Amino acid sequence: MSTLNVSNITDGTTSVGTGYVVNGSAKAWVNFRGSDTFGIDNSFGVSSCDDDGVGDYSVNVTSAFSTDGFSSTSSCQGDSSNDNRGCCTDNNGTSETRVNTFICTSGAASDSAEVHVTIHGDLA
Amino acid sequence: MTKHLWDRLAEAKSRLAPVQSKYRVLFEDPNAPDEPAKVLVPDPNFMAAALAGNVLPAIDTYLRDRNVPDGQPKEHPYAEPIGAMSEEEAIEYLVQKDIDPAVWRDYQGNRTIMKIVPVEMIPSDRSFRNAWRIMQ
Repeated sequence: MSTLNVSNITDGTTSVGTGYVVNGSAKAWVNFRGSDTFGIDNSFGVSSCDDDGVGDYSVNVTSAFSTDGFSSTSSCQGDSSNDNRGCCTDNNGTSETRVNTFICTSGAASDSAEVHVTIHGDLA
Repeated sequence: MTKHLWDRLAEAKSRLAPVQSKYRVLFEDPNAPDEPAKVLVPDPNFMAAALAGNVLPAIDTYLRDRNVPDGQPKEHPYAEPIGAMSEEEAIEYLVQKDIDPAVWRDYQGNRTIMKIVPVEMIPSDRSFRNAWRIMQ
């Protein structure tokens, strides 16, 4: 694999430091099924996901972050009941983020057919 | 100089086909006895990297990094990659990396709180998901 060692990238008009590109890249992401048979469909930088209970999941990354102050964001998809699903994340240490999904109208924990998590931050 | 683990993972994903494991790890948290059993699912790209070798660092580096304070340099990102593992060895690696040592190392009670099982043994019916326990 070849390596480009440059400090800026430009399209001829505007330029950006490669540090912004590297630091702005997602360090890990995952798309998993949270209902029926729990499973991971696609990912990068993830070592495993946990099914911790109804609407309760964890994502473990392979390359840990330098602190637990990384940024994890999530989105999720409802099921055939047409209830809208909401989700939130909570970092737990430097290599795990916990994801909870719930029914928006009631706030009750509920499985989500598909959950997507993206994590940005400074790697260790 | 050894490349950062993240770079090795990116390179591995570009050349290796994902591998869906035939195993799951069932475990219970001894510090939260009222919580349901949890199910750890290995990531397919992680499994591909583990089976291929020369991507992941030795598990010891992760275990030592557990004691490194936030913000301090960690050992595992630049540790020398290890060789290929079997699927069973990769699951043992994941248990040590992603499950609290309170479950797999420190627990001294009589209950079985962790089992590695074939994926077919995990129920697909989640009607009573929050009541799942490990059969004794």
